[in-house]
Amino acid sequence: MNTETEIVIVGAGAAGSVYAAILAEAGKSVTVLEGGPPWQLTDLYSSYQWSRRLKWAEPHVEERPGDSLWFNFNAGRGYGGAALHHFGVWPRFHEDDFKESTLYGKGIDWPIEYQDLRPWYDRVQADIGIAGDAKAEIWRPEGDPYPLPPVPRFAQGDMLKKGFEARDMHVAPVPVTVLTQPYKGRSACLWDGWCEAGCPIGALGNPLVEYIPRAEKAGAVLQPNSRVTRILTDKSERRATGVEYYDAQGDRHELHAEFVVLAAFGIENCRILLNSASNRHPDGLANSSGLVGTHVMSHASANLFGMFDAETQNHMGLTGGQIINQDRFGKVRKDGPFGSRQFIAGLAVKPNDLLGIAMTRADLFGSPLDDFMHRAVRNMGTMVTVSEDQPLRSNRIELSRHKDAQGFPMARIVYKTSPDAKALWHDGVAEGKEIMAAAGAKEIWNGPQGAQHIMGGTLMGERADKSVTNKYSQTHDIDNLFIGGAGVFPTASAANPTFTLHATSMMSAEYLRDNFDSL
Amino acid sequence: MITNRRSFIHGTGLGLMSFTVAGSAVLLSPRDARAKAADFRVLNDDEVELLETFAEALVPGSRGNGVAHFVDQQLSVDANDALLMIKYFNVRPPYVDFYRAGLTALNDYSHKVNDKPFTGLNDEAKNALITAISGAVPEEWAGPPAPLFYLMVRSDAVDVAYGTVEGFERLGVPYMAHILPPRQ
Repeated sequence: MNTETEIVIVGAGAAGSVYAAILAEAGKSVTVLEGGPPWQLTDLYSSYQWSRRLKWAEPHVEERPGDSLWFNFNAGRGYGGAALHHFGVWPRFHEDDFKESTLYGKGIDWPIEYQDLRPWYDRVQADIGIAGDAKAEIWRPEGDPYPLPPVPRFAQGDMLKKGFEARDMHVAPVPVTVLTQPYKGRSACLWDGWCEAGCPIGALGNPLVEYIPRAEKAGAVLQPNSRVTRILTDKSERRATGVEYYDAQGDRHELHAEFVVLAAFGIENCRILLNSASNRHPDGLANSSGLVGTHVMSHASANLFGMFDAETQNHMGLTGGQIINQDRFGKVRKDGPFGSRQFIAGLAVKPNDLLGIAMTRADLFGSPLDDFMHRAVRNMGTMVTVSEDQPLRSNRIELSRHKDAQGFPMARIVYKTSPDAKALWHDGVAEGKEIMAAAGAKEIWNGPQGAQHIMGGTLMGERADKSVTNKYSQTHDIDNLFIGGAGVFPTASAANPTFTLHATSMMSAEYLRDNFDSL
Repeated sequence: MITNRRSFIHGTGLGLMSFTVAGSAVLLSPRDARAKAADFRVLNDDEVELLETFAEALVPGSRGNGVAHFVDQQLSVDANDALLMIKYFNVRPPYVDFYRAGLTALNDYSHKVNDKPFTGLNDEAKNALITAISGAVPEEWAGPPAPLFYLMVRSDAVDVAYGTVEGFERLGVPYMAHILPPRQ
């Protein structure tokens, strides 16, 4: 067990694995502390019951009355983190997502623009593989073409495409980090619809197929079942000296390092920073701005369902869907809410679990449920509307007075969907139902408001009094402390965040690599 | 390791779990555990009967597919490794506290409304009671939120009735596993 390393990375998820690969390949000694188990691809069984092992049981968070962020469903446990069970939908953020304050007087500007990040989008997609049709995505910002041809459509994809087109709306193949052909020694997808349970054949781009293997090959040490509780600082309390963590037996350890990369789930990052308070940092580490934990965002989403006369083949394809529409991505509407929204349609579904068929009609039980199940497995079509949330200071992570098994204060979420996002959600549900009807669905219904993709809490920005990190995710207060993940996003877009998370992480990791001796 | 084709393992879609039958530890599916009258680890006989009756009313076939053995076995393992959907709902382990309190509340409510235990109700009365608790917390209900308890037991019942290879077959939809669940 290491006690010293050049770089300690907290969390073996999407961000942590990118940092680990880039820095280990540069010859740095890297240790990754992961709170959960050391999953391998062979642990990813095609079963939604078993996929629940990929998520935490004990609530690390308390949620006050408001809108739930579904921490336990959204977060991940073990190697791969949340990206191990993510659906692999990887659209890029748009240019104006980065400049909402300047352009519209809403939201918060990023300290970078799309063109600054574009090279890393292009490199990440070449690394891990994305399937799509860049030309068909008429909304897509400038970027290299996708390295893989687009995903196929199955029956419900064809039906729903007609529904969009009947309303003069454009669709494109959904861009996904799923292999439509063998790529770099990895197998192509079989279109069996088990993505959310984790893809054991390596067709879906998660940390286990690209950046963790690269990191380990370059010598990075991954240490599972190691829960980080605090960041340690030197006597000046201006530099981090490492982290405190607890192993599976509950024993306390310290790992000393020249640099700390905090790349746990975003809520956990806030919790660790707030728990690292000291004399010089009484409100938590890297929190001179008082903004650690604030501006937490999510995507207000709703699943929409329609029952068709024809068979929809809804067990085939990808959990992430088959087609995408971003006609409503423009931020400004006359007399309407501000922000982007998108549709993704043709999602593969299975009978059980939170997003399964039975849960779409949670009101049914007994023989009506059984009758519904027999119809829905053959004839149900699905789509999802995703709406942009606004960064509000009042939506925040705090430390709870309640503690977990290690005596570590739990996080407390104070969150209410922004009014704009709530209105976008209603608009998306209404329009989605019209699309379903235009596609020929006979019965149409929708699920409740859900929360996807937790972002914010450790915003990046130019000014130390207005943000937690600079554009390289380096904290303003502690030069040798970096933050990984979507927590640094100042705005949420309506695009799924994991591609952007990879791009920002790679950009920041290379900045750390290239300035290692001077920071 | 990259698996480049589907790996089929004989078993059931829910995998095989450790049960005790006639004093011996054996690996069985929940359905087979019920058929072989495997011991319960956490729930007592009354709780088992009530859970099975409630689950069967929610999802026909769940009793015979071993819903009580599934829930009971999962309540006996580390919560982080548990396969129950309650994990998503911010309920603090140990989950047995939630199930036990919910079952008690269900029976107490049935007594208040029908003057009978839930297991003694006819189908019409069961359906009326379930309708009353599924969408709101009735005034006479004393326990975890009634709609949440309804949803969790319904989900467990759906897991064993529809979320297995056999369940998919009954629905007429192919399972198409990459890797079937293992033994636990």
